[in-house]
Amino acid sequence: MTSVIKSVAAASAGLAAAAIGRRLLSRRATPNPAEWYALTIECAPEVLTGPDRPGELARLVEEHDVRFSEAPGGRGTEVAVRTSEGAPRERLRAVKQLIETGEVLRVEGQTEGHRTLVGRTVLPGAKRLMRRGIR
Amino acid sequence: MKAVCWTGINEVSVEDVPEPGLLNRRDAIVKIIASATCGSDLHLIDGYVPTMMAGDILGHEFLGEIVEVGPDVRDRRVGERVVVCSIIGCGGCHYCRQEMYSLCDNSNPNPGFLETLIGHATAGIFAYSHALGGYAGSHAEYVRVPFVDVNAFPVPEGVSDSNAVFASDAVPTGWMGADIAGVGPGDVVAVWGCGGVGQMAMLAAKLMGAERVIGIDRFPERLAMTEKRIGAETIDYEKTDLLGTLKEMTGGRGPDVCIEAVGMEGHGTGAQYAFDRTKQALRLQTDRGLPLRQAIHACRKGGTVSVMGVYLGFVDKFPMGAVMNKGLTLRSGQQHGQRYIPMLLDRMAKGEIDAAHLETHPMGLDDGPRGYEMFKRKEDGCVRAVFYPDR
Repeated sequence: MTSVIKSVAAASAGLAAAAIGRRLLSRRATPNPAEWYALTIECAPEVLTGPDRPGELARLVEEHDVRFSEAPGGRGTEVAVRTSEGAPRERLRAVKQLIETGEVLRVEGQTEGHRTLVGRTVLPGAKRLMRRGIR
Repeated sequence: MKAVCWTGINEVSVEDVPEPGLLNRRDAIVKIIASATCGSDLHLIDGYVPTMMAGDILGHEFLGEIVEVGPDVRDRRVGERVVVCSIIGCGGCHYCRQEMYSLCDNSNPNPGFLETLIGHATAGIFAYSHALGGYAGSHAEYVRVPFVDVNAFPVPEGVSDSNAVFASDAVPTGWMGADIAGVGPGDVVAVWGCGGVGQMAMLAAKLMGAERVIGIDRFPERLAMTEKRIGAETIDYEKTDLLGTLKEMTGGRGPDVCIEAVGMEGHGTGAQYAFDRTKQALRLQTDRGLPLRQAIHACRKGGTVSVMGVYLGFVDKFPMGAVMNKGLTLRSGQQHGQRYIPMLLDRMAKGEIDAAHLETHPMGLDDGPRGYEMFKRKEDGCVRAVFYPDR
């Protein structure tokens, strides 16, 4: 049990260190935090702006500012969503996966060994942090 | 089913867990034939990778039989004996299309941690902590394989299980170490670490035409195995001045290519090693880097250092001055296994590559904790323990 607590403590310490590091970096290096979250999708812009675009993307466009531009060097389309929240980022990544691979990859629901009480308590929040990043 | 799970720092146990099911349309379920321990597992078990959770199933280097495929699987079939790349590619993103599978944009469902720590998320890896996807591992009776058409490769008949299992990770990682360093005829190549990856890097360098290949380690049985099975020269760094010996062996030039196959928990001698160990234990640095510093120091002017050992965070006293002033090329990366595995399986079928000798300790899943203990402590000459669920 002690080692479980130690491991959870190590995980939390790692995340905390990353959070503090980011905070320090963002304070010093970027006085104005980036407003847009951007990624590049391996497809032509029409796929993302046309009527057959994924429903999730259409909903994202309704709820947020989203901009599209052709990536240099034939590398697809740059998509940016104006948000400081984690959830829209996760949704945009899901759109990218859907277009590039045909599905949104899941790990939730896979098999696993016995989770301790501490693990069961900490895991959902920790996973969410690891999915969305530290904001 | 039975599975070998991480249950806490330096704790591994065999648990009864539910059998995996298909979660995505391009998934397959693979019945494990053989699943190898890997040196990089030790960083997880030791608690140096912070996003492990008690109950995570270990194992990423494996061979098995496909028993179920999702509706969108096109190429792979039930009944095939396949080796699965330890690093997961999606096949559709920019990086996978460029055959840089370990940089896949889509196979890591938990990208947040790495985006914060290193700027970008890299590919998911089986059983390599939640920061790398949180995938259940292969030290079990069955495992779920995402994007199976991209990540699983049929093993030619006649290639033994004990040989083919290493085509999942050790052989392609070693091959890539030599390949990205541009090893060619006439080269002198030095490899730090005579474990599975190191030996396979040496074998790759020989097959690419290197004239002299030198393996560096401290375990007599690994050095002897490297001489006998790979035909490389060796240096025991505990018995001799490593950097001086390398200079002497290379006419003062230094090796053309230095391949580091050790990683963040490398060993060494002297005050620098003691200092590194202490700092890492106190979490003042995440990764120890003595072999890496040695490789950079030893490498000839204008040479290439290829880092295949696993690093996670920060190495102190990184000799940037040597990299810059000697005009070195630094190459690295988790293996782009999918790029190499079909060619490597062909070479295995032709008898050009045989990795089966790395399997010093085959055992059943019940022996998982003992296997890891032996592997970690290198007891009884253990180079790799390999688990066979049917034994």
